[in-house]
Amino acid sequence: MESGFLQSLELILNFGLPFILLLVAYFIGAWIEHRHFRNIRKRENENVEFPVVSFDTMPDDWSASSSTLVSGSVVVSLDYFKRVIAGLRSLVGGRIKTYEPLLDRARREAMLRMIESARLDGYDAIFNVRLETSRLANSRGDGKGIAGVEMLAFGTAVKFASRFARTP
Amino acid sequence: MEISNTESIPGRTIVQFYGVVTGNTVRAKHIGRDIMAGLKNIVGGELVGYTELLQDSRKEATDRMMEQARSMGANAVVNVRFATSSISQGAAELFAYGTAVKVE
Amino acid sequence: MRFVPRQPREGINVSDTHPLVEAGTLIVGLTAIFALIALALIFLIEIALYFIPVEKEVALFENWLPDDLVTVSPNDDRLNQAQLLVDRLAFHWSDAPYEFRVEIDDSDVANAMALPGGLIVVTEGLLDQVESENELAFVLGHELGHFRNRDHLRALGRGIVLSMFFAVTMGNDESSLGIKVADLTLRGFSRKQESSADAFGLELVYTQYGHVNEASRLFERWDDGDHSLLDFASYASTHPNSGDRVENLAALAQRKGWPAAGKLTELKW
Repeated sequence: MESGFLQSLELILNFGLPFILLLVAYFIGAWIEHRHFRNIRKRENENVEFPVVSFDTMPDDWSASSSTLVSGSVVVSLDYFKRVIAGLRSLVGGRIKTYEPLLDRARREAMLRMIESARLDGYDAIFNVRLETSRLANSRGDGKGIAGVEMLAFGTAVKFASRFARTP
Repeated sequence: MEISNTESIPGRTIVQFYGVVTGNTVRAKHIGRDIMAGLKNIVGGELVGYTELLQDSRKEATDRMMEQARSMGANAVVNVRFATSSISQGAAELFAYGTAVKVE
Repeated sequence: MRFVPRQPREGINVSDTHPLVEAGTLIVGLTAIFALIALALIFLIEIALYFIPVEKEVALFENWLPDDLVTVSPNDDRLNQAQLLVDRLAFHWSDAPYEFRVEIDDSDVANAMALPGGLIVVTEGLLDQVESENELAFVLGHELGHFRNRDHLRALGRGIVLSMFFAVTMGNDESSLGIKVADLTLRGFSRKQESSADAFGLELVYTQYGHVNEASRLFERWDDGDHSLLDFASYASTHPNSGDRVENLAALAQRKGWPAAGKLTELKW
């Protein structure tokens, strides 16, 4: 029956299309996330011996021959699925569980980049680590919605004066 | 689990340190708080709803940070710092970070 | 103090809940809440209608015309004939509270509307499609049915309150979900109203002509797909589908013993 077809077509366009988009965004996003976490864990395991602390003075048993400021940053974007869920959440309140893996990944990635860049330049440890988050607004006129979230990790990297600067 | 935002726990000495630990949460307010805040924006004063929201978030972030420290075998977290940022309209991210240590 | 390399356990900063589960709960929960709110508002409107008697409505809307109405010339014969037809039909509704007026809108899209104050608007598109007076009589009778149930006020009230409510509570994209849910809830009610108006219209036709031949011919034509989708869509968006209406009307006529055969009256223009 023609009218039945039209009505179901209307229903599909109104509800089905956004729903399918949502599912596609979810699955692709989940796969990307999974891959990233694996990569992060691998790099963290490689860097586990590198001391990173947030003390603002250097531990006593370190003696530094040179130091510099190092930083690592990453900008992650929020996919369609996450944004929709966050929007719904903001009606009823509570933890936005879909954002948590994203921010976790971003922070760990930023820290890893900081460590890796320090290591590349021959530094031995980082202290006084600070973490900052900032949000990048969309270029739309009303400023609504965000393009992404930036995570920044920075600290002071030091080279030990001698190889035996750390007491065992 | 002891925490402090200074270099060390007062009266104790650090014997080992393990690394940076973090805890974070992202929370959204609900429509009720939003409406109350809208009204308060007219008359001014403390936004009690939001204060509670952020206090709960801070506690949760701190708990997660201590959980990470505990799983490393630490018994204290020092040099704790907090950072808040707004992730999107109506949602705030709060994270706490510090260094996990063993004190005696 | 010395450095001992250690790593924290995985997954502390992440929740266990699977994202699809969270999404599903949120969507289902919010849909239920929106549907409930829509129902509550509908109930409130019924109460409000109770307090607006017909006399007040007539007093307010007497001689009112919608702003965007483009009418045909008052000397148009069709206008006079349509007005006469409405008067004859309304004659059978003994305690009709309105003085019904007819206006013709010069739109090509087939439509007929019942508006506050006893105003019936039919479009040129509709008049072009009807082939006998019986068909037109049914359409007009159907609109009279709406007046009897005060449906026109209900629809107005619901539309206003709902859009106000949703604009106020949410300024974000998720209000579209709420509006869609409310729309679907409303359509259920709207279809019931249409069936009731159909029945009244048929009764008037029978009383006028003594038979119901060709009364629902208009819908039959739409159902056959003779006409463009545009014509169909505008009239049928909140109405039950045409095929069902034809069947229901035939069944009603049979139940009431109204003959389905009889001499058709020609259009007088």
